[in-house]
Amino acid sequence: MILPREAKGSGFASFRTRLLLAMMLVVSAVAAAGLLFAQRNVAANVRRDFQREFQAELAALHAIQDERHAVLAERCRALARRPRIHAALEDGALDLLYPSARDELVDLMAAGDGAPREAGAFALHALYYRFLDGRGRVISPPNARDVGELGPGEESRLSLGALPDGPQTGYLERGRGSPGGTIDEVIAMPIISTESGEVISAIVLGFRAAGMGGGRADFRSGIWLDGRLHLPSLPEPVRGGIAAEAARAIAADRTEGGSEVRVGGEPYLLFCMRLNPGSLFPPAYEVSIFSLADSLARRRLLLWQFAGACGLLLLGALLASHLLSGRLSEPVERLAVDSEENRAQRHRAEAALESTSRELQRSARFSADASHQLKTPVTVLRAGLEELLAGEYLSSEAREEVSALVHQTFRLAGVIEDLLLLSRMDAGRLQIQFSRLDLTPLVEAWLDDLGALPDPLDLKVEADYPPSLCISGEKRYASIILQNLLENARKYNRAGGRIRIAARADGAWAVLTVGNTGRPVPAAAQEHIFERFHRGAVGENVPGHGIGLNLARELARLHGGDLRLARSDEDWTEFEVRFRLAPSAGGPGETP
Amino acid sequence: MTPPSLRRAAALLAMLAVPAAALAQAAVEGRVELPKGLHAPVMNKRYGIVAFGGVLSPFPPVAVVYLEGAFPRPAAPPTAQMVQKDLMFLPWLLPVQVGTRVEFPNLDDTYHNIFSYSPAKRFDLGRYRSDERPIPSVLFDVPGLVTLHCDIHEHMRALILVVDTPHFVVSDPQGRYRLDGLPAGRYVLKAWLDSKTTLERPVLTQSGSTLHADFP
Repeated sequence: MILPREAKGSGFASFRTRLLLAMMLVVSAVAAAGLLFAQRNVAANVRRDFQREFQAELAALHAIQDERHAVLAERCRALARRPRIHAALEDGALDLLYPSARDELVDLMAAGDGAPREAGAFALHALYYRFLDGRGRVISPPNARDVGELGPGEESRLSLGALPDGPQTGYLERGRGSPGGTIDEVIAMPIISTESGEVISAIVLGFRAAGMGGGRADFRSGIWLDGRLHLPSLPEPVRGGIAAEAARAIAADRTEGGSEVRVGGEPYLLFCMRLNPGSLFPPAYEVSIFSLADSLARRRLLLWQFAGACGLLLLGALLASHLLSGRLSEPVERLAVDSEENRAQRHRAEAALESTSRELQRSARFSADASHQLKTPVTVLRAGLEELLAGEYLSSEAREEVSALVHQTFRLAGVIEDLLLLSRMDAGRLQIQFSRLDLTPLVEAWLDDLGALPDPLDLKVEADYPPSLCISGEKRYASIILQNLLENARKYNRAGGRIRIAARADGAWAVLTVGNTGRPVPAAAQEHIFERFHRGAVGENVPGHGIGLNLARELARLHGGDLRLARSDEDWTEFEVRFRLAPSAGGPGETP
Repeated sequence: MTPPSLRRAAALLAMLAVPAAALAQAAVEGRVELPKGLHAPVMNKRYGIVAFGGVLSPFPPVAVVYLEGAFPRPAAPPTAQMVQKDLMFLPWLLPVQVGTRVEFPNLDDTYHNIFSYSPAKRFDLGRYRSDERPIPSVLFDVPGLVTLHCDIHEHMRALILVVDTPHFVVSDPQGRYRLDGLPAGRYVLKAWLDSKTTLERPVLTQSGSTLHADFP
C-alpha cells in the first residue's frame, strides 16, 4: 500500500514540474517576443530621434548661416550702390576707389589691427575686401592695410573668371598649412553702373566663416574646399578618415541626406552639402558629422536595461509560475487523493455487494431447492391420502380427517409454490413477459372460482368494472395478484359481509380496488402488512401463511405498478392495485 | 532749367569776356544736328542727364557751342550757380569758363553732399544744408567735363562743362544757337553733344557780320 502512494507522489511532482515548465515556456516566449519587439521599436526610435536631432541641429545652424548670409549680402548690395564707389569706377577715379570704400566700409570692417574681439562681433564684420575689374581680376589696393591684408597668393584667389551677374559666395583658405589656418567666407557682389546698366565691377568681401560645430561635443561642422577638409577641432587621424569619406560622398554627388560612416572604429553620421551652388568661386561643401558613439552607448545601455528587465521579468515569472502551478496543482492533487479514496471505497462496496449478492443467490437457490425438495413429498403425501380416501375401510370420521389432511397438502403446495416464486424474484430471475392483457375476464374468472368455493360466511360480492380494461402485463402473475387480494377479502371477512371489486382507468393507469367488510387492520400493523411472513393480528383460525400480500406487491411492482392499502377502518378494508394501461392503437384501452 | 535763361547767362558771360576795345563784334549762328532717337527712360526723364552705354547725355538733347581760341582770362573769377532743388541739380548742364567759381546752394530741406571724381575737378563738399554759409563753392580751373554726384542721393547727376573760352552758349532744344560779341579771326567752333561727342569746325569770323555755321 505504501509503494503505490510513493509512485503517486512522484507523479504529482512531475505534473507540477511539467505545469511549471509549460508556464515558464509560455511566459518566457511571450516576454522575449515582447521585449524583442519593444527593444527594436525603442532602438529605431532612438535612431530616428538622433537623426531628427541632428537634422534639427543642422537646420538651426543653416538658418543662422542663411540669415547671416542674407545680412551680409544685403550689406554688400548696399555697398555696391554707394555713389562714391560708382563715381570712382565710372568717372575713372580708380585711385579713389579703395579710399572711398574705406570710408564707406568703416563700420563694416573688423578692427584693422586684427585684435581679437568677441566672436559675435566678428560675425558681421568684413575681414578684407577687394574690387574686381572689368575682367573679374582683383584691382590691387594701394594700401593693403586699409582693406585687410591677404597672404601671397590669397588675393589672386579672389579673382573670378568674369564679372558675376549676381552675388557669389566662395570660401578662401588662409594661412594654408599653418596651424592657425582659417576658412573665410567670401561674398562677391556685382557693381552695376547706373549710367550703363552694366556690371562694371564687383566688390569682394571676406568674412569669418560662420561658427562651426555649434555648442555640442558630438556635432561638428567643417568646410571642404579644394580637396581638403577644414575641420580643425577633429584630431588628425579622424579628420583624415572623415575627409576620405566626404571626398567619396562628394565625388559620388551623395550630398542629399546623411550617411553612416565608420572612422577609426567610431560611427559617425556624415552630411555633405554644397555651400555655394552655382557659384563662380570654387565649389565648397559643408561637411557635418555627428558622432554616433553617444547614440550607440545609449543603445547599448538600453539593450542592457532591456536584458535586465527581461531577466527580472523572467525571475518574476518563474516565481509566479511556481506559486501558480503549486496552487493549480493543489486541487488536482486533492482530487487524485480523493479519487483514490473513492476507488478504495468503491472496491469495498463492490466486494460487499458481491458477497451480498452471492449470499442472496445462495439463499434464493436454497429457497428454490427447498421448495423443489418439498414439492415432491407433498405430492406423494397427497397421493397417499387420496388413495386412503378412495379405500372403503375408513370410517366417516376418519374420512373427514383424511379429507382435511388432503386440503392441508394443497395449502402446503400453495405455500411452496409461493416461496418458489418469491425466491425466483429475489434472485432477480423473474421476468414479466409483457403483453396486452384484458383485466375484465380475469376478474370474472376469479369471481366464478370464488363463487364455486364453499361460503360459510354468506358473503355478498359486488363488482363494478368496465367490459374491457386492457393492461400491460403477464396473465399468470396478474392472476396471482388478483387471487391473493380476493382470497384475503374472503378470508378476513365477517359473516354476512360483502366484497367489492371495482376497476377503472385513471390516466395511464388501470386501478383495481378490492374491498371487504370485517375487522380493519390495526393502525400499528398497517405499515407491516406487506412484509414477508407477517400475518397481522388475525387469529390462528384464519388460513394463510403471511406471504400473499408480499408476493402480490412484488409482482405489482414488477409490472411497473404498485399495491397499497387504500383504507382500513371501522368495517372496511380496501386494497388498491395499479397496472399500466396497455398502449393501444385507439388510445387508452378503455371503453365506457 | 529753361534754355533762354541759360542763354542769357551765357550772353552775360560773353559780354563780360569781350574786351571793350573790340567794338565791331562778330557773331556766329547756326544749328546743331542733335542726336535723334534718344529714348530716355521715363524714370530718368526728370534728371536731365541720362546715360547710355557709359555715355552721359543731356535729355532732352541740347548742345553746348563754344569758340575755342586763345582768349585772355578774366581778371576777376566769374561765378555761376548749380542749385540743388527737389533732389535735382539745376541746371543739369552748366558750361563755365575756366576759372569760374560755381556755388552749390542747397535749396532742399535735406542734406546734400556734392562731390566729383572727374579728372577735371575732384572735390567733395561734404554734407551741408540750405543754411550753410558761405554757400559751398568750387573753383573750376581745368577745362573738361565734371560729373556731379550727391553722396546721399545716388540718382542726382549733373554735368559742368569747363571750357577755356568766354564764348559759349547752350543751344535750344532744336539745336539752334547764336554766339554774339565774338572777336574777328580764325577759330575753331566746337559743339559738345555728350560726354563722348564733341563736333568742331574752323570758322573765320568777321567784324560786323554774322557767320552761319551748322553742325555737321
